[in-house]
Amino acid sequence: MNPQLKGVENLPGTYLFDLERSARALKLNRFLHGLTAPEKRALFKENAEAAFDRAALSPEERRMVSALDWAALIRYGASFFCLEKLGRVKGVSNPEMVAGFRGESLEEFLKTRNVPGAR
Amino acid sequence: MATILGGIGTSHVPTIAMAYDRKKQGDPDWAPLFRGYEPVAQWMAERKPDVLVFFYNDHATTFFFDHYSTFTLGVSAEYPIADEGLGPRPVPPLKGHVGLARHLAESLVNDEFDMSVFQDLPIDHGCHSPLTMFWPPAPEWPGRIVPIAINVLQHPIPTPLRCYKLGQAVRRAVLSYPEDLKVVVVGTGGLSHQMNGERAGFNNTEWDMQFLDLIERDPATLTKMTHADYIRLGGTEGAEEIMWLAMRGALASGARKIHQNYYLPMTAAMAVALFEES
Repeated sequence: MNPQLKGVENLPGTYLFDLERSARALKLNRFLHGLTAPEKRALFKENAEAAFDRAALSPEERRMVSALDWAALIRYGASFFCLEKLGRVKGVSNPEMVAGFRGESLEEFLKTRNVPGAR
Repeated sequence: MATILGGIGTSHVPTIAMAYDRKKQGDPDWAPLFRGYEPVAQWMAERKPDVLVFFYNDHATTFFFDHYSTFTLGVSAEYPIADEGLGPRPVPPLKGHVGLARHLAESLVNDEFDMSVFQDLPIDHGCHSPLTMFWPPAPEWPGRIVPIAINVLQHPIPTPLRCYKLGQAVRRAVLSYPEDLKVVVVGTGGLSHQMNGERAGFNNTEWDMQFLDLIERDPATLTKMTHADYIRLGGTEGAEEIMWLAMRGALASGARKIHQNYYLPMTAAMAVALFEES
């Protein structure tokens, strides 16, 4: 185990992006990263299944992306920073994604913040 | 010879750019953030640096995990603004200082920092989200940058000590550059935040304040901490603070912090600190 990370395994609700997660979710993260290219965004918006086919995503990966199941995507191995691209394309803000990770509604999450309008 | 005027540590939350691009200066939810950058912008306008050496991280925008560098140095004359899913921000392409960048590449590699190099690639909000707050284009950018991207996304990431030593090597490189250039070193990221799992939304203002104190007074203590320490205290993405350590390593040990601001409106603690060499 990486000695720099000793103790992280004891933190609740934390999914560290390491080489194991990166390898498991490489195709998914490549698909998400690809949304930075206008032509790939256009294909995803017009025909999501065709975009999934091109990225060779598994049925479960397709389900998580289609459902915007943020909590499941992170547990599976999606990089948050790749998920941000999906958020932007779908018009979902980062606070809404974070609420999803926590299993809360956006309204519930905003109640825990200092300045709920700053988003 | 080139000189180092000082350094800036700053968060790089994408909403900082959003607030700037949507002109939220007068919005009470954002005004404390803008006010916090004003003294930095004023210092930059007065001191007029030629080049900013910029430690930042890319967010799986330009660089992807099929080939991921630990330290990568930009050597271009120009960098497009990255498209992160909504098209590029409405700011001009960043200008690079090729001479200093090539000198840094040679100096760092000969100093046993085996850098990757990149050119003609876009740069994302890790660099320019805070940049517009203190060095706004009017309409062109006031000077040039030399970007150094650090892997803080995919573990193993470089140790805090290694980042500090990289900063020290950058200092040696800058100070050995023969042209009379005024340089400011910037490190972005943090402070406390976590963007994954049920612990997402974690913040720790007490730790953030300690960090802002130690980065000026006692960076050696920060270099002895592990990534696990940073993650426990400041969240998984709080570990981005190692990029502030790279900035601090490039400054003289006696550099003074002359301004800081801290604002925690939503998910990430947004801080800025300005350091000046004596």
